[in-house]
Parts: sequence; structure tokens; C-alpha cells
Amino acid sequence: MSDQVPDLPIAEGRRSLWERMSIVWLVPLAALVVSLWVAWESYADRGPLIEITFEEATGIRSGETELKFRDVTVGVVEDVGFSETLDRVRVAVRLDKEIAGFVDGDARFWIVQPEVTTQGVSGLDTVLSGVFIEAAWDSTAEGLVASHIGASRAPLLRTGQSGLTFRLTAGPGVQLTGGAPILHKGVEVGRIGPPELTSDGTVARSEAIVFAPYDRLVSSNTRFWDTSGFTFSLGAEGAALDFSSIATLIAGGVAFDTVVSGGTPATDGADFVVFVDEGAARASLFQDNAGPVLNLTAIFEDNFSGLSVGAPVLLDGVAVGEVANLNGIVDRDRFGDTNVRLTTSMVIRTSKLGLTDVTEEAALDFLAARVENGLRARLASASLLTGGLKVQLLDIPGARPAALNREADPFAIIPVAPAEISDVSATAEGVMERINNLPIEELLDAATAFLTSATTLTNSEDVKAIPGDLRGLVADVRGVTNSDEVQAIPAQAAALLTELQALSTDLRAIAASIETAKAVERVTAALDAATAAAEDVGASVEGVPALVDQLSGVAAKAEALEVQALLDELSSTVGAARALLADEGTKSLPTRLGDTLAELDAALAELRSGGAVTNLNAALASASSAGSAVEQAAADLPDVIARLEALAAEATATIAGFGEDSELNRTARAALRDMQDAARAIERLARTLERNPNSIILGR
Amino acid sequence: MERAYPIRPVLTARAANLVGCQHCASAWPMGREHCGRCGARLSSRTPNSMQRVWAWWFAGVIAYIPANTEPMLVTRTLLQSQESTIVGGAVELFLYGDPLIALIILLASVGIPVAKFLCIAYLAWSVSRAGGGAPGPRHRMYHVVEYIGRWSMIDVFVVAILASLVQFNAVANVTPGPASLAFALSVIFTMLSAQSFDSRRIWDALEPAERTL
Repeated sequence: MSDQVPDLPIAEGRRSLWERMSIVWLVPLAALVVSLWVAWESYADRGPLIEITFEEATGIRSGETELKFRDVTVGVVEDVGFSETLDRVRVAVRLDKEIAGFVDGDARFWIVQPEVTTQGVSGLDTVLSGVFIEAAWDSTAEGLVASHIGASRAPLLRTGQSGLTFRLTAGPGVQLTGGAPILHKGVEVGRIGPPELTSDGTVARSEAIVFAPYDRLVSSNTRFWDTSGFTFSLGAEGAALDFSSIATLIAGGVAFDTVVSGGTPATDGADFVVFVDEGAARASLFQDNAGPVLNLTAIFEDNFSGLSVGAPVLLDGVAVGEVANLNGIVDRDRFGDTNVRLTTSMVIRTSKLGLTDVTEEAALDFLAARVENGLRARLASASLLTGGLKVQLLDIPGARPAALNREADPFAIIPVAPAEISDVSATAEGVMERINNLPIEELLDAATAFLTSATTLTNSEDVKAIPGDLRGLVADVRGVTNSDEVQAIPAQAAALLTELQALSTDLRAIAASIETAKAVERVTAALDAATAAAEDVGASVEGVPALVDQLSGVAAKAEALEVQALLDELSSTVGAARALLADEGTKSLPTRLGDTLAELDAALAELRSGGAVTNLNAALASASSAGSAVEQAAADLPDVIARLEALAAEATATIAGFGEDSELNRTARAALRDMQDAARAIERLARTLERNPNSIILGR
Repeated sequence: MERAYPIRPVLTARAANLVGCQHCASAWPMGREHCGRCGARLSSRTPNSMQRVWAWWFAGVIAYIPANTEPMLVTRTLLQSQESTIVGGAVELFLYGDPLIALIILLASVGIPVAKFLCIAYLAWSVSRAGGGAPGPRHRMYHVVEYIGRWSMIDVFVVAILASLVQFNAVANVTPGPASLAFALSVIFTMLSAQSFDSRRIWDALEPAERTL
């Protein structure tokens, strides 16, 4: 093999990198590029991660549960976890990039799950597909907000809907049902949200919505009422069964109407009360309840029974609202003990407070000012019979300072005063007991007996005869008056005066005989002394001239009387009396007699020595007879006086007959009074004489 | 129990100035371009074979990553849609009380591919360096790798069968996930890598050192 190549080392030329590289390297290169590109693209396409917290994550699975907006998937749950304190569920959702900007602060998220209600079945698709998170946001992108709080229920206003959102407060007897329709003339125009209790549990409230364009129908004059259930009325028009629809019959519903035009359009967040029926709702409009409703809470220390929902709330005696709800509460932290207190929430119609500015704020201001001046809420008896209570708002003097707690949740709290409740049951019991204890039976027996007796008496012949007897009595009286004896009284008086005249004549005679016996000078002197003494005595006997004067008065007045006969009698009487009394002898008689006797004693003593004893004896005998005559006269005086009194009484009776008011009568009465006085003076004199006959002699 | 393989230098075909046809196994003198019997191109050592091995190997590894991270199977039933990756599915099966099947899947989808990657890398690494181990076992290893490669598609077959069988519209629906494609690619790349390996080079280490490539 000559052509064999010599065995020389062959140095092969070094090939370039590209020549040495195998084409196969393109495959891993391509794979790398593709996978990198895919990775980068998926990373770049990835939307932001947001975090939504829910109360609970029913059916949410990471990687599966979708976030939907208008039923289009815009994100997927990536992670489900808990918040730090495990009280909420944190759901991380990977959003689509395009919509991320719209998930701003006003975005709302809720979990859609199948729900069967009386209004129908919703979310049925989620039965098969599993729950999903639905989102709603507006059409303005305001930048991503990474953390959201999910709602536990779907909002009333869904995406793409607009309407009026307001708040309904359940009035007494109204039951709000979540999801129930709001009807206007039978057309469903809105929906009620789930009702919630206020924090103190007294009032149920719920969000409600009326969708556009019907939201224009709601104004401040709109009234809502409950249409759930049915009403049955039986009246003159017959029986009426009324319910709006089967759905509302079962599920409840609320209807509204604007009865009076002119209200201002309602704004979002307005407050409305749901009345129990249409009648109440319409009536409320005309009860001057147009103003907003102010809710107040009062926490009464005592827990009395008897206060009920609907009980009136009185401000200074004027009904301004009613009790909306009652709750007993025990709150050891707040009150420091475990007593049950009565939390009363009241609805105050601000329009009834008489404020010019009818707003809740103004009403609160007003009440706050009043509370500072002592306004307190107080329980008081409303009805004694039923034991019902009412709430009074009134000024308590000296109340401990307190203020209206306006920050309280949910309603302002008004301070309270101790209740003023009469223990009705006890009082009523007492009353009944007392009525029980009344001796009604005895009383009735007595009354029956009395009536029996009265009947008997009335029917008796004696009683029947009384009128006749009376008539006879009158006749007798008339007879007595007209009797001769009575008629003769003046005559007797005249006779008495005549006797008095005779007496005075006798006295004069005595005096004369005494005078004739003054033969002896000493006797004369004695008599002079006696005269002087008599004069002294005259001054002491004052009653006699007064008597005289009075008698003169009587005479003067009696003269004025037109009763001629009487006047004549009287004047003669008076004249006689005057004659008797005016006589100096009579006047000074008693003293003079005493002095005379004293002088006589002295004279006799001298005469015994002088020898004129016999003469004197005669004189003394005559003096003694004179004394007995005086005695006789004195004994007769009472009789005289009695007769005078009788005369005066007779005269009074007579004069009384001349009429009460005539001048004559008055004059006569005065005259008679004077006469009575005169008679009394004479009586006094007579008594004095009687008691002490010596006084007429001794002048004492 | 190691079998005694000759460590001493042996006479290789190349040393004897011969080249074997890889298609019809006839031997030709060194330097001949084409096989005189079947016309196939002759080469004593496949040029750039190591590069191709490594290239396919890398492609296989790259494809194997999404095959595990992405879902293999998307199962939609009435109530839910479930995506499961290879390992996730195996774990689920294990938890649901089917450890045997879980083991098979884990072995077929994770154990074998990973073993293949390791083997090929070891073989490729060992031939470029002297003294990488006894050529006998390595050759046997190469055969096992090549043999087992065709069965590595069992996962893909399962997915394909399920996806074609379970198509009940809304009620139940199985579709292959992106991982199935990546896994298939990974298997293919690995097989190509194994095929690109020139097993003759295993014995080059025993050649007298007077000549290098």
C-alpha cells in the first residue's frame, strides 16, 4: 500500500465557536426564551392583590372563587386567611389589571350565595358553581385601594341602579322584613333592607331604597305604612278583606303615598316612620306631625309595670309624643348594680314642641336648655283604673343638676326623676274596703224605718190637723191681741199712774204735815239740814233724772206716732210719770226721809227735854204712816214695772205691725227701745228697793 | 457484588482504524465517508454529540419546570372546577386513601424523569472526564435510560385518555392543563438527549492515551 499516508501527526485547524456549536442548542434556547417570555407576560399581566375582610367566608376557596363585577369575572381569590385576632376572614383577591383602578374607596364586596326567600330564589347559579364574591363600584377610577371590608349582605342598590336611600323606623306594631318590597299603588318601586335593632334594642330600623325614577315620589309629606298581613273589617258597608298581594301577605311589605303635595323632596338618609296601617299613616299627616321625629331615651331606675308602648309622653301636660319601645336592662358596668332598669325610648314630634325651627337639632337644643333648668322625665300614673303609666317631662324644682346626654347611642338620654305613682292597687283596695265596711244595711234599715214612720206620721190625723190647728192658733193669737185685757193695758197703766199720783199726793201731804209740825226752830233747822242732805242725795240718785229724760224721749217719739189712741195713752202716762218724777219731793224723797228721821231723832231728843212730846208723837205717827205708805209704794213698784214692760212689749208688737221699713216704724222702735230702757231703769230701781228697802230711807 | 469489568486499556474500533456503521452495524475502514452497504454516513464518534446531549437535556429540564408548577389536569364538575398539578394530585390521591396509585404517579412523573435527568447528566459528565466510573455499568445505565424513556409518556397518556373520555359538557369535564404539554415536551427532549448520547464514548476512557479526539 504505497499510497498510504505517512503516519504524521495532523493538527486539525481549530474551528470557530459557531462552527463548533451544534444547531440543537437552539432548542433549549427557544424553550428558555418561551418560558421566560410566558413568565414575564403572566407576571406583567397580573393585576394587583387586594384584601377583603369578611365576617365569614362561606364557600370561598382560594384559587377558585371568583370576583365578579356585573357577572363578569374580574378576579380570583388567591388566599383565604384570618385577621390577626382571628375575628374576621381575610380574602386576598387577584384583580384583573384593567379594572384595578376602579376598585377605589367606594367599592363594595359581598358574597353571593343561594338564598331562598319569600320573594323568590336568588343566587341559584351559585348552587352549582359555588359562591362568588360580587363587587360593585362606580364608573370613576380613583385609584386602587388595597384593603376593603366586605359587606355581609348584598347592598340594596345594585350596580347600575340608582335611587333614593333612606331609613325606615318601625312604628308601634310594625314589623319590618328584610327584602320586602316597597309598593306604590301596587307597583314595586323599592326594597327594604335587613332590619336592625338600635344598639339599645328598642327600635327596629332598616335601610330602604326607592329606585329611580320613582324616587321623585318620596317627599317630606310621604307616609309609609305596613301592608303585611291582611285587614278584615266588618262595617256598615259589609265585610272587607284587604291585602295588597300574596307576597306581602306572607313576607310583609311597605307601601307609601304622598297625600299632601308641597313637601320638599326627600334626600338620601332621610328618616321615615312606618305606620301600622294606611289610616294611621294618613291621619299622622294631619296631626301636625309634619316635623321630624326626635327619639329620646330615658332610663328609669324603677321598673314599674304599667308603662306600655304607645303610652303618651307629656311635656308640661301637653302630649308631644309617645313611648316607642320598652326594655328592661341590667348593666353592671354602667350602673354599678344588677338592678333591672327600664329603658324607654320615646318618639317626640318636634312640631309639637312649638318651636319655630322644626328640626331635630333645634328640638335637642331646646330640651337641653330645659334639662339644665330642671326638666326631667318621670313616670306618672295615667289611669287610676287600669294602672297605666305615662311619661311626664316636667320641671322638678331642686332637681340634682344633670344634662341631656346627646352623645348617647342611639338616642339622646334625658335624665329622670323619681316616679310619682300612687299605689293604685292599694288605694283601690282601700276604697273598696271602706265601701265594704259602710253600714249600708243598717242605714237602709234605718232609712226604711224612718220612711215608714214618716209615712205613718204624714198620714196620721194629727198631722193632717196641723194646718187647721195653726189656723186656730193664729186666730187665738189674734183673739188674745184683740182681747179686752190686752186692750185694757193702757188703761191699767193709766190707773197705775193715777195711783202714783195719789202716792205722790200722799207724800206731799206727809211732807206738808211734816212742814206743819215744824213749830220748833230746831226742827226747822233740822229740816233745813235735811233739805241740804236731800239735795246731796238728789245728786247721787242719777238714775232717776236719766229715767226721766228717757221717758221724755219716749214721750217725744211716741208723740210722733200716728197712733192717736196709743199716743194719748202714752202721753198721759208719760205726763203722769214726769209729774211724779219731776217732783222734787220724790226726787229727794229717800235721802230726805233718812235725814228727816235722823233729824227727827235729834228733834225728839230735844223735844223730850222741851215738853212738846205729844205733838211730836203725833208727828212721828204720821211720819211712820208716811213710811208705810212709801213701803207700800215700793212694793207696788215691781208690779208697775212689769206692767210697763208689758206695755212696752205690746207697743213693740203694735209698732212692728206698721211695717219694717217705714220711718214711723223706725221711730217707734227707737221709742220703744227707749221705753224698754226706761222700764229697765225702773226695774233696777225696784230691784234695789226690794233688795234693800232701807236704801230708800238711808240713801245707800 | 461488583462485576469485574476490565480497567486495562482495550483495543477500540477507532484504535484499530475501523469505523462501524450505526445503521447496519457493518465495519468499515476509518476515513470512509459512507457505508458501503446501506449508504449511511459514517463517523467514528458522532460530532458535537455532547453538545446535543446537553442542549436537549437543558431543554428537557426547562420544560420540566412548568410541567410541575402548572396544573396537569383541569377537572370541571357541576359543583366545582379543580386544577391539580402532578405532585398535588398525587398528594391528594394519597390523602384520599389511594397510596398505591399515588406512588405510581409519583414514580412515573417525578421519580423517573428526575432519575433520567440525573443519569444523562452523569453519563455526559463522566465521558468528558477520565475515570468517571466503570464503563460497563455506565453502558448498562445508558441502556436502561434509553429503554425507559419511551414509557415516560404514561402520564401524558392518562391525561389524554381522561380528557377524551370525560367530556360530559357541564356535568363533568376534564381538559389537559398546560403542564401536560410541558411534561410531554420534557419527556421528548429527554429522549432526544438520551439518543444524542454517543454510547461509544463511554469506552474511550479505556483507549490508550496516544490519541484524542
